[in-house]
Amino acid sequence: MTLLTTRPGEIGLLAAGAIRSALVKATDQANISSYIEGQSPLAWSDISDAGWDLVGVTEDDESATLRDLVEIAKAWGEITVQLPLLTTIMAKRHSARAAEHDGPVTFSIPTQALAAGTGMVPFGHIAHMHMVADFTSDTSSLVAVQSLTSDIFAPSLRAAHSSHITTFTAEAAREISVVWAAEGSGIAKRAVADAVTYAKQRMQFGKPIGSFQAVKHHLSNAHMDAEQAETAAVWGSLDPTNAHRSAVYSLDLSIRAVELAIQVHGGIGFTWEMGLHFYLRHLITLREMVTGLGDHA
Amino acid sequence: MPTTQERNAREVFTSAARVWLQENVPARWRENRGSLSEKETDEIRHEWDRQLHRGGFAGLSLPKEFGGQGLSMVEEVIFHDLAAQAQAPDGLARIGRILTAPSLIGHGTDEQLARFLPKILNGDEIWCQGFSEPNAGSDLAGVSCRAVKVDGGYLISGRKTWTSFAKMAHRCLLLAQTDPSAPRHKNLTMFLLDMKQPGVNISPIKQASGLTHFAEVQFDDVFVSDADRVSTEGSGWKVAMTTLMNERGGVEATSRYVEIRSDMDLLLATLGDRPDLRKQLDELDIRVELVHWQVSKAVDLELDSPDFFRATSILKLLWSELWQETSILGLENMTPETSDHWRLQYLETRASSIYSGSNEIQRNIISERVLGLPR
Repeated sequence: MTLLTTRPGEIGLLAAGAIRSALVKATDQANISSYIEGQSPLAWSDISDAGWDLVGVTEDDESATLRDLVEIAKAWGEITVQLPLLTTIMAKRHSARAAEHDGPVTFSIPTQALAAGTGMVPFGHIAHMHMVADFTSDTSSLVAVQSLTSDIFAPSLRAAHSSHITTFTAEAAREISVVWAAEGSGIAKRAVADAVTYAKQRMQFGKPIGSFQAVKHHLSNAHMDAEQAETAAVWGSLDPTNAHRSAVYSLDLSIRAVELAIQVHGGIGFTWEMGLHFYLRHLITLREMVTGLGDHA
Repeated sequence: MPTTQERNAREVFTSAARVWLQENVPARWRENRGSLSEKETDEIRHEWDRQLHRGGFAGLSLPKEFGGQGLSMVEEVIFHDLAAQAQAPDGLARIGRILTAPSLIGHGTDEQLARFLPKILNGDEIWCQGFSEPNAGSDLAGVSCRAVKVDGGYLISGRKTWTSFAKMAHRCLLLAQTDPSAPRHKNLTMFLLDMKQPGVNISPIKQASGLTHFAEVQFDDVFVSDADRVSTEGSGWKVAMTTLMNERGGVEATSRYVEIRSDMDLLLATLGDRPDLRKQLDELDIRVELVHWQVSKAVDLELDSPDFFRATSILKLLWSELWQETSILGLENMTPETSDHWRLQYLETRASSIYSGSNEIQRNIISERVLGLPR
């Protein structure tokens, strides 16, 4: 295919910039392990008061495109906090009822990790969460999430299991997959940056470990994976036919980048307090859900 | 975001290019490429350079004042893509277009630009690249080919290797040592050497695949004038870096994408119904497309910005390793109809992770210049 541009529009750049600064300010470069199991460093109202949860709602020519949402999701992934921004943006983009709802929204997806008839609900563990019951219907109401059990595997996703499963349109399933892939690429980029910083500081044999070629090559490979993970999300946002497969592959790449980041951190890399496992847990759960959306996309 | 005007201009360019390619790609090439002799192949490829020039498609991203079209990398990539779809030949002017031209634009004099660029673009002069030597491969700064100052110029003596197009080249973009006593990276100078003179001895190198894409070139007191020195004495390393950036950049990756895409299509056509290979084929197919999207993403970034370098620095690694993997899958699953192709392609692609700078060196470059890791 011949393509005219891969760049995001103004609205995507603007929103991504604003959201990134809000996150940087709120987290103040703190390690993810210092906040992810407790209170979110950023309040939901900081996001919703600025209207960012409605950024994907299609109204006119000025609305955000999926390419714009990729830019926003990437920024969101770079600094992971436990807030349901991306599920809310996507729910409100694809469901009129969700867009009318004042508050965060999510949905329920069957995954390979759960028994048949059970769905994974990202952020379903947060109090008073609502979810879209049916993206194919304009009239079906949102339902309050009734959690069967909470899924503690990825603390950053505050997930719950539900016996209600959302019905997706192909477009919603596809776009959600792409947005999560973009978020994943932001996480990968952050993990690689953290590993590079660590490799410059950590001394062994009297030198920074980042001066050893074996470590350099791991980091170059991790950089390639993170770059390509972003490219795959951009591709998915511009080419609907290949959106779902590029999103799954994008998440594979992001996971590989974080695995390498852990390797470069050495012994501290596989501790709970270093926090890299939170990224891995988040990405693995995203991949499960995106794979689960495959039947619809 | 491109303006509406830019979008329209790109659309106009795309349809004009598509029509032109439809009318100009030689049928003989499109239909009987496999049965052409080496001589016929070279003739068609050389003529293609001239056709591109007459059609206004030579030097798309080069400035108008030097005979280029004054467009951007975006048009360059669009055209390469369309040319591949139309099964167009690859011209012989590629070293001149992709390497010499940008190096001269970065570092050459107006006089050099005026003398060389038009002949590169109209297909009159074919170029080769004289960088690697038997004892200076990955350690390119260690070249020992000597340029000794004489009245009005230099005498070049030494040996270059892995030189593509050497036999047919009129000129060589040559990196030589001008001052053996100067420190590394300060002792080299770039020259624009005339290949058609006594003292230039070319021996073809037969590769592992049996093909001869490269040659070794021996220079014995070959004269090159002061006017054919690029920039100042001692600036050769800096000029070479510009050349290598282009060699490993987006235009090169696009033409590689085209070749790998065609191998991928062959894999899908012959093995697409094998359930045991589905996952592997799907992943390779995605990776082939990602090369294309990586280039598309890069050319939309601001040229020479850190983001641009981040995005382009990985291209050579992506296509070279991917091409090896597609040919391995082809080899492992070849049929009587495809065995000749995959046997050759497997051996040919052994070289792809080595030439244009080995992949180990490219990973060092990424880690040091993109990620900022210590040397």
